[in-house]
Amino acid sequence: MPEITFVKSALPKAGALVVLLAEGGNPSALHTALDEASGGAVGRALEAAGFKGRKGQSATVWAPAPGISKLVAIGLGAEGALTPDGAEAVGGAIWPLISAETEATLAADGVEMPVAVRVALGTVLRSYRFDLYRTMEKPEDKPKLARLAVAVDQPMAAKNAYAPFKAVAEGVFMTRDLVSEPPNILHPVEMAERCRALEKLGVVVEILTPKEMKKLGFGALLGVAMGSAIEARMVVMHWNGLGSAPAKGRAKKPAPAEKPICFIGKGVTFDTGGISIKPAGGMEDMKWDMAGAGCVVGLMAALAGRKARANVVGLVGLVENMPSGTAQRPGDVVKTASGQTVEVINTDAEGRLVLADVIHYAITKYDPKWMIDLATLTGAIIVALGHEHAGLFSNDDVLAGQIEAAGKATGELCWRLPLSDAYDKQIKSDIADMKNVGTRAGGSITAAQFIQRFVQGRPWAHLDIAGTAWATKDLPTAPKGATAYGVRLLDRLVADHFEG
Amino acid sequence: MKDGPEAAGARAWAAMAEGGLGLEIDARGLSLAAAVALARGAALRAWGVREKPRGNLLVLTAVPGAAERLWSLGAPAIAGNLFARDLVAEPANRLTPAAFVERLRALEAFGLRISVRGRAQLAREGFGALSAVGRAAASGPYLATLEWPGVSGQEGRPIALVGKGMCFDTGGISIKPARGMAAMRADMAGAAACAGAMLALALGRSPLAAVAVLAIAENTTGADSYRPGDVLRSLSGRTIEVVDTDAEGRLALADALHHAIAAHRPRAVVDVATLTGSIVMALGHHHAGLFGNDDALCEAARQAGREEGELLWRMPIGKAHRLDLRSDIADILQCAPAGQGRQPDACHAAAFLREFVGETPWAHLDIAGVELAEAGNPLAARGMPTGFGARLLARLAATPAP
Repeated sequence: MPEITFVKSALPKAGALVVLLAEGGNPSALHTALDEASGGAVGRALEAAGFKGRKGQSATVWAPAPGISKLVAIGLGAEGALTPDGAEAVGGAIWPLISAETEATLAADGVEMPVAVRVALGTVLRSYRFDLYRTMEKPEDKPKLARLAVAVDQPMAAKNAYAPFKAVAEGVFMTRDLVSEPPNILHPVEMAERCRALEKLGVVVEILTPKEMKKLGFGALLGVAMGSAIEARMVVMHWNGLGSAPAKGRAKKPAPAEKPICFIGKGVTFDTGGISIKPAGGMEDMKWDMAGAGCVVGLMAALAGRKARANVVGLVGLVENMPSGTAQRPGDVVKTASGQTVEVINTDAEGRLVLADVIHYAITKYDPKWMIDLATLTGAIIVALGHEHAGLFSNDDVLAGQIEAAGKATGELCWRLPLSDAYDKQIKSDIADMKNVGTRAGGSITAAQFIQRFVQGRPWAHLDIAGTAWATKDLPTAPKGATAYGVRLLDRLVADHFEG
Repeated sequence: MKDGPEAAGARAWAAMAEGGLGLEIDARGLSLAAAVALARGAALRAWGVREKPRGNLLVLTAVPGAAERLWSLGAPAIAGNLFARDLVAEPANRLTPAAFVERLRALEAFGLRISVRGRAQLAREGFGALSAVGRAAASGPYLATLEWPGVSGQEGRPIALVGKGMCFDTGGISIKPARGMAAMRADMAGAAACAGAMLALALGRSPLAAVAVLAIAENTTGADSYRPGDVLRSLSGRTIEVVDTDAEGRLALADALHHAIAAHRPRAVVDVATLTGSIVMALGHHHAGLFGNDDALCEAARQAGREEGELLWRMPIGKAHRLDLRSDIADILQCAPAGQGRQPDACHAAAFLREFVGETPWAHLDIAGVELAEAGNPLAARGMPTGFGARLLARLAATPAP
């Protein structure tokens, strides 16, 4: 992750200089200074290039002044129309233009400080690379920029404003690392071990093994794991940002205000579909079937990293879904931790089985104010919404509204879809309390109905992120690959509504 | 009465009236509204294509006069719904595009003004998209216009209803699999719903003006079929690159929407179509998809649907949905190419249609999945037409703009 430093506005002695210009706006002081240093060449060059400051427009001027390798001008669009989301996209657009430089300065002296911070964040988010397994890449093909100086009028204030975003970016990178890792490396046991990295941020990490989960009655989660050579894990991560509940008199139960909120993630480190095996084409994508869990881990890192004043428990169910002689079969009936039984019609609808047990555990153990689960749950959600919105399901309109708003604020969009008894009927089973799939019609909804049967009427929301966890082309603030969708949205949700 | 008195009336009819003896409901313990709703439900459920009448419905109530009056207010919508069902139930060899148009002409008796453009006129006037879709068939294509002037005497701008009327949809050159193709006789359910709504407005003497523009055609294979890869010049002048000839509904609607807006200057336009399999995957059989460019209109449509028991769920048209339709050689792609994985085709279709409505307030109802009754729908027997949309549109069209 390139380091961001905030510096006083002054012409750099070397490296690239990035300037931001709104359509019809005036160049910033630094921009003007460089133009003067170039003897007016910069202004002429930008004019010749037809650079007007339109949104998405950029222009490069090589060696505009002594010592400065290049000037990159970025258009902001109509003056004053820049949204925070848009500011991050601007930052993202900067990265490919400067990543080969060894030094670079962003002239943010002409924009408001909060915008400058979000531009810097966008650049950082876009800079992500997963390089672990590239052994033959030539050094000249690798990005070199390790530090971006952002020139602003008040560097200290900007630094303070940026600090929490840096923690969030680190959480995003952690999620992207986990999601990018191949499934032979990142299996349930390994992923659980990696969660321990959160301990240095002050997160308390507990890891439960199959033996313990068996005692808890996790028949659904363990049923999914049965086919794999690698054991399942559940990881519980506690961030007590409000401190532990103070003892008030003889009260044994914590006061309601101190109840935690819970985030629950589906962590199928690889999903073959099991006996209901998937077609070969595209199956490699199923390494990211743990993106819900990956998001929860990165979110915990973000919250702890910025010392969020909230009590949060993150829980992830980690399994591998494999076909084998010991694998679960279509037709099996499993008993969940809640006591409800499930007829497994399709072993490839395994995520909801994992979530059922983890959610039940979260409720009985932590009595949360509310909970949100994230899962790459259904292909149907892609057919419904595509890759720009995640599917949002909830039994609580207030919570759902807050999630939608946080999504808009962070550019991680979600779209609410319906739940109702009519859909719930589609998962009636002839021999058990429910079956794990309905028909193809409304497949994401019936999956959500299944999960809802385990939330005991508590305030709950479910994000189906199968369309948004992974990008097949570059996004404004994420290179193609793991997006870490959800980390920023949920961090924002906590910041906006649940910090004391 | 868990899902309301209308459903209860329907269930009562289904359970009791099969023997042809009719049904008596003692509604004296119920409110007037509930008693009449019971009757509405039974009347809707009693619809059938078999000739034999199944007896009468008698509702006992303490206030028969008031009940009669309330019933008569709702009767036009029921008639409209049942008219739509009649059309949808007809097999495609009987309800050809020409026959559909003849059935519409019969509505003149109720005070609707009907005008029809045929194949030659459509081609001459530049309906390039609709013409391409219908040209391989022996009958059609047509663009039928049904006008209700309103009885208020005020010269208000009408609401425009635009319906997809694909009398049969083989998929064309991008032919559908054989399995399930028979259900494609119902691919004109959107146009049927619009026609039903117009009948309801006429029977109910709606004060407000309304116009329905129905694109009626058969999408079939033939030596003269349009092809994937063809570029069509639509009525709007925009060029469309065809990707999949089975995404024909949006092509027909593109021309119908443009015409409805250009010719009638409506206060709002609502199109209704059995448009995508994607919406069935998204919402199943218990909500139709609602898209639009105007929140107030969409909310009014949703509200009308709630009141008529025809549920809509708002769906997005995201930036990416439009970007996915960039064509290399034309103004827009008709749909996203297959082979790029799963596609949000319902959203793509809505993004496509939006290009043809300009600034006019517009709502789009994707009713695939709700046009035929699934198990558990009380108002129609399983697999039979529901007439979905007729009641909703009639209510919306009779309500002054929000």
